Amino acid sequence: MVDCGGLKRKFMATGPGPKLAELLHMSTSSFFGLLARLARLCTMPQGLGPQAKPVLSAPRVAVTMVQAAGKKDRPALPLLDESELEEQFVKGHGPGGQATNKTSNCVVLKHIPSGIVVKCHQTRSVDQNRKLARQILQEKVDIFYNGENSIVYKEKQEAEKKKQERKRRAKETLEKKKLLKELRELSKNVH
Amino acid sequence: MPKNWSATGLQSLRRGGSLRPRHPFQSLRPELWTQPLTPWQLQCIQELSSRRLQRMPVQYILGEWDFQGLSLKMAPPVFIPRPETEELVEWVLEEVAQSPCAMGTQDGPLILEVGCGSGAISLSLLSQLPQSRVIAVDKGEAAICLTEENAQRLRLLDRIRIVPLDVTLEGSWAHLLPWGPVDLVVSNPPYVFHQDMEQLAPEIRSYEDPLALDGGEEGMDIIIHILALARWILKDSGSIFLEVDPRHPELVGNWLQSQPDLSLDLVAMRRDFCGRPRFLHIQRSGPRRGCPADAWPGPQPARVPG
Repeated sequence: MVDCGGLKRKFMATGPGPKLAELLHMSTSSFFGLLARLARLCTMPQGLGPQAKPVLSAPRVAVTMVQAAGKKDRPALPLLDESELEEQFVKGHGPGGQATNKTSNCVVLKHIPSGIVVKCHQTRSVDQNRKLARQILQEKVDIFYNGENSIVYKEKQEAEKKKQERKRRAKETLEKKKLLKELRELSKNVH
Repeated sequence: MPKNWSATGLQSLRRGGSLRPRHPFQSLRPELWTQPLTPWQLQCIQELSSRRLQRMPVQYILGEWDFQGLSLKMAPPVFIPRPETEELVEWVLEEVAQSPCAMGTQDGPLILEVGCGSGAISLSLLSQLPQSRVIAVDKGEAAICLTEENAQRLRLLDRIRIVPLDVTLEGSWAHLLPWGPVDLVVSNPPYVFHQDMEQLAPEIRSYEDPLALDGGEEGMDIIIHILALARWILKDSGSIFLEVDPRHPELVGNWLQSQPDLSLDLVAMRRDFCGRPRFLHIQRSGPRRGCPADAWPGPQPARVPG
């Protein structure tokens, strides 16, 4: 019997972004280190019974990540390491499960190395809020460490550029129309 | 607002309501906080507040709640899906993604849900596994009706069979035979220990169906029947995913060891977001016993001898 909680949380930490791209950005050694750690988490220990089957997690891990790749056009945000995160839910949760019915679903997520704290209460689902909190935290951590080079900052700059471009073009078109109108007026007067 | 409201009680009702349109609380968006409430809004709030003061769960007051991104209708006394159960669905989805060949090729996995309640688990699986089909059973009439209604709202009726069934009754499995052996059994069965029932919060005790919660002396009564059901309706190498009480991993493990002819192994345990042991993955390791070959209408998977 194995505890797969850690494995699941690891994947949640990467968010819905292009996981394959993140894998490619990892150095080869850290990539295989990740696979090795995951294999240890889920492989059945020997001697647990004659019917125990080893769970091969490493190749399946790659499959899951590839499936998620290509979801967004965005370049990969830096990965969040689950071990560097501290998560908090509503206090006084009680026994949990069927024995509890609380509607509070706020998630508080802290990135320990940088000290950044994100609070997410956007949806009614704790699960969704956990995912959203991680996405938001990913972006904030990116800005924190990469400043002007962060994805978020670059995207903002792009958006600003495009906005300026659109304004300029709109202005040009307006001027052209004005000019045309004036020319028409002129030619009318001539006749 | 009534003075006898606790700050958090009001907060939860407002919060739950404001996250959905078509509701009086929609108007509690910050921009409209400075506008006076209309008489109709005041009346609604009065009514909803009085229900909350009677400890009615917010989900029943609002008549709906979210689960895995789906909006589901809620109605007493049908059991309200808990946030932990979303993680059960996540686990099943992960497992299905990792073993596509074991779960059938064209027709996604065939899944049996025991104790479907509002349909939360079945419908979220169906919506995220477009090729899957589900047989959802429950012994409560209200649950059957609510699951049907939610399936209709979400346009998933064509892929779900909703069957009134009490799995604790002898021979109940026979009713499931026509649909063939299943790839997966999923359940959030009643698992509260009987002695803990009276300590439940008034919201739960007074409004939710106790039969959806009470699992008997050790909370195992329905779990045992689900595991026994596997013998008849679960494919070889098929899986059972359960949500349970934190004390159950050991109890289930021990029970399975005492039932070697079930050919079931407790393969993995997963914790919920509070770190409590909450979910179990049990896998079938041998051929189905005592099942006549001609009971299945469809083509048979190749039998491995031994």
